[in-house]
Amino acid sequence: MSDAVTKRAELHPSISDAERADYAQLVRASAAGDREAMERLLMRAQEVAYRFSLLVCGHPQDAEDVMQEALLKTYRYVSRIKEPDAFRTWLYTTVQNACRMKRRRHVGEPSHLTSIEQGANDGDRDAGPVDIEGHARPADQLVMDAWVSDRLQRALKALPPSQRMIVVLREMEGLSTREVASVVGISEANVKTRLHRARVTLRQALEGV
Amino acid sequence: MSADVNTECGDMLTRISSYLDGDLDAAGCQAIERHCAACARCAGFVAGLRETIGLCREAGSAPLPDAVRQRARASIQRLLTGEVL
Repeated sequence: MSDAVTKRAELHPSISDAERADYAQLVRASAAGDREAMERLLMRAQEVAYRFSLLVCGHPQDAEDVMQEALLKTYRYVSRIKEPDAFRTWLYTTVQNACRMKRRRHVGEPSHLTSIEQGANDGDRDAGPVDIEGHARPADQLVMDAWVSDRLQRALKALPPSQRMIVVLREMEGLSTREVASVVGISEANVKTRLHRARVTLRQALEGV
Repeated sequence: MSADVNTECGDMLTRISSYLDGDLDAAGCQAIERHCAACARCAGFVAGLRETIGLCREAGSAPLPDAVRQRARASIQRLLTGEVL
């Protein structure tokens, strides 16, 4: 039997529960006044914002603004949070909304670039890929190149935005199917369907580059 | 025979992500593994998706560039010391 087949369970170790618990612990400690915990939590919030901006929204020039938004909202939210276990879902939803609002503020923004909104509730039929490279300043692109392989960047560009968001949340950020469904606003079954399609498309794109 | 094999391959393709995510029960997993043992094309497809998922996970766990992290840390310090961002 193929070794590739027998290792199925190793791909997705159950990191989601551990990550969620880790975030919850940081939230509790931060709310209790632990400065070190707060710094770690705020750093994570900014990391999430940066990755999401670049990989899902495809607008590197917005990434640092979205980081600031995530930083401020997390700082303000921590002391009021009632369900620390739900923090991670809140954070990704907040970052997604920050990206969306950032796009809306751009004067003369072509409607096809509001990709993240297309990802929430529609199918994949109208969601053309965002040209990540085309909107990146050279410095941003250098950062992107150093961080994500050129091969994977090209493959991600082949995905409709709605599928790209699910790949990033599920595969790269390690959210559970339920968490992805909550952030994106679709059913778990729909998440699984889109994820499968995205994996197949990504595979084909990777084989073609 | 060929039609049966194609049907089996098609069924396999629809369930492969569930299989890779560990969402299938033991019987479902064994059915896929039996099929892949006899079908090189599907076994290759599984291996390809595994590599794809692995690449994504690798990128997700990569640290952010140092320059970005430094700016993020500076923003945190300004926030925690009460400076205006």
